[in-house]
Amino acid sequence: MNAAIDARQRESRQRIFDRIGTATRSVAKALEQRAEAYAALPRTYVRKGQKNTESKLELLVERLREYDAEVVECTEIGLSTAIAAQLAASGKRVFVAPAGLPNEWLASGFVWKLDRGLASAEIELVEGVVTASSCAIADSGTIVLHHSATEGRRVITLLPDWHLCILRASQVVETLPEYFDRFGKQPALVTWISGPSATADIEMTRIKGVHGPRFLHVILVRDDVRV
Amino acid sequence: MSSAILDPKLAPTFREAVLPVLRNPMLRKNVAHATQVIQNKRAKLVAEKTDWQELRGAASAIRTHVLENLGAYLEQFEERCTAAGGVVHWAADADEARAIILDLLRQENATEAIKIKTMTSAEIQLNPFLEAAGVTVHETDLAEIILQLGKEEPSHIVVPALHINRSQVREIFSRTMHLKDLSDDPKELTGAARHYLREKFLRVPTAISGANFLIAETGSVAVVESEGNGRMCLTLPETMITIVGIEKVLPRFQDLEVMLQVLARSATGERMNPYTSLWTGVTPGDGPQRFHVVLLDNERTSILARPKERQTLKCIRCAACMNHCPVYRQTGGHAYGSCYPGPIGAILTPQLMLMHHAESLPFASSLCGACFEVCPVKIDIPAVLLDLRADVVNIERKQAKRAFDLMYIGLRVANTLFARPWIFHATQWFGRIGLSVFTGKDGWIKWLPSLGGRWTENRDLRGLPEQTFHDWWAARAKEAK
Repeated sequence: MNAAIDARQRESRQRIFDRIGTATRSVAKALEQRAEAYAALPRTYVRKGQKNTESKLELLVERLREYDAEVVECTEIGLSTAIAAQLAASGKRVFVAPAGLPNEWLASGFVWKLDRGLASAEIELVEGVVTASSCAIADSGTIVLHHSATEGRRVITLLPDWHLCILRASQVVETLPEYFDRFGKQPALVTWISGPSATADIEMTRIKGVHGPRFLHVILVRDDVRV
Repeated sequence: MSSAILDPKLAPTFREAVLPVLRNPMLRKNVAHATQVIQNKRAKLVAEKTDWQELRGAASAIRTHVLENLGAYLEQFEERCTAAGGVVHWAADADEARAIILDLLRQENATEAIKIKTMTSAEIQLNPFLEAAGVTVHETDLAEIILQLGKEEPSHIVVPALHINRSQVREIFSRTMHLKDLSDDPKELTGAARHYLREKFLRVPTAISGANFLIAETGSVAVVESEGNGRMCLTLPETMITIVGIEKVLPRFQDLEVMLQVLARSATGERMNPYTSLWTGVTPGDGPQRFHVVLLDNERTSILARPKERQTLKCIRCAACMNHCPVYRQTGGHAYGSCYPGPIGAILTPQLMLMHHAESLPFASSLCGACFEVCPVKIDIPAVLLDLRADVVNIERKQAKRAFDLMYIGLRVANTLFARPWIFHATQWFGRIGLSVFTGKDGWIKWLPSLGGRWTENRDLRGLPEQTFHDWWAARAKEAK
């Protein structure tokens, strides 16, 4: 870093903190009182949803379909078959998958590129991606990725045009606050996806698929139902 | 259109700037259409939320708490972000922020940068500065590309090109992307932009972004978007530079449960925007391996120091206030002479810049209060507008010109007149006789000469009644006897 800019920055940092200190002298609180004040902030909004499992899942599916996402349901045992069927119906051949994706999900008859640090240019050439997910929020039809070993690096769910996302019924919550209750400890990376990439920049007309995947498919695994 | 129109130092006053807009029926139609669509969508989604007022209350309380304890939360953010591999920079003003960013780009030997829409970079006029220094900046938000390629100016903080319609976009794209057969179908236009940018996303290794929220407890940064251009810029490059105002910090990750719920509904009338990304410093193997945050003051600490104005900094840039403003809906954004238009711009711009660069803005409002009613963090914009109006008057009354200014002479005359009943009654009597010449049979005055014309050029004036209240009251008392 340029030494002059560096020195100026240190001065600016001090000046900004001094000015904040002066500006908030009468209202800023010390550590303990601040924690108390934060804990006392009004949070009277809805935390927990009222729906039973069945109607919660129904709501999620309805929301996802509103976003033009395609949703199918299957049982835990039928998952591999369901994945293979989705892949076959896509008409695509070359897929990328996170390195940690279960082997039995990698249906035969397709070309699989396992992501162990693939270059962006290579990922750009594949036609689709299959990943797991961390959570889904029924209220807003949101799928959450924490980019673990089964969800993959951020880039693999971004460049391919077609995304098949595997979601378990037990991962579905009804409200956004329920998501935050479930994941008290924040992961380093989070992506909240609510339907495929979209824009309304031209005359407020909603257009699906600007830069991210244009096609989002979800397999909802009913791990809550005993077969 | 030159970029001077959005530089408060050079822009004409609101009163002057508004005239060409009001005479441009296409622009007014485009703005009215877009704001109406967003209003309807928002109304529908807010109505389905039974706890909307509770969410607003929480959002407002969190933001107020942050501002009151800003120093502590910024320090915490700096510490955690640094620990996670980010580099935190401090810029006292726009000049410093630009110098820091250019210096970072030079270290990378960058001649190009891809950019996510950021209001803060527009505030410090980063693009023209970088272009002059030899760095080509590629905007990647669809609306921003339309503006950049069409050499147009943004007129809204969420949908910056809402004043441009599809056939105008077609003209801009076919001219600059050399696509002769492009139609004006928004789908095809969007496709052209996707194709145009794809190569840049994959090639340019340096990106510049803004941020919607900083998380103090983890040092993380959140960006809220729709198109995926943000995710491209956050994921593909080797180096990421994020410029953000110091007020954008939230205490905890969990505070997003409130902010994300109110932001998308208020901004675009969606339950949730398509993509929200959160990252923490540098993650080995995933995304940019060099990450810089430039924290910008640029007069925010001056706003913080004024208790009544402090709430301006609660803003989360959703633009609901402009979508609902009866003034903005007629004028669009350019008349405000700043990258921040509408009601929030009318209070933010005069405070971020020196007051005399934007002294007409606090008056660009009817004080109807629609902005306050829809604001998801409950900024009482009308109250701040009134306070800033008082500032403008306080500056003016100290100036020598007020001795000769017609308004001040008028106010002094009114002062004398209202304080003495007999002068007041005499004035009413003379006024009635004088105005009767201009009053039509229907009791309305349609034209007045001289200064009075300032009123009648825009609206009719009710003629003075035959009997004043005082006369009526006196007559009534006499009758009772």
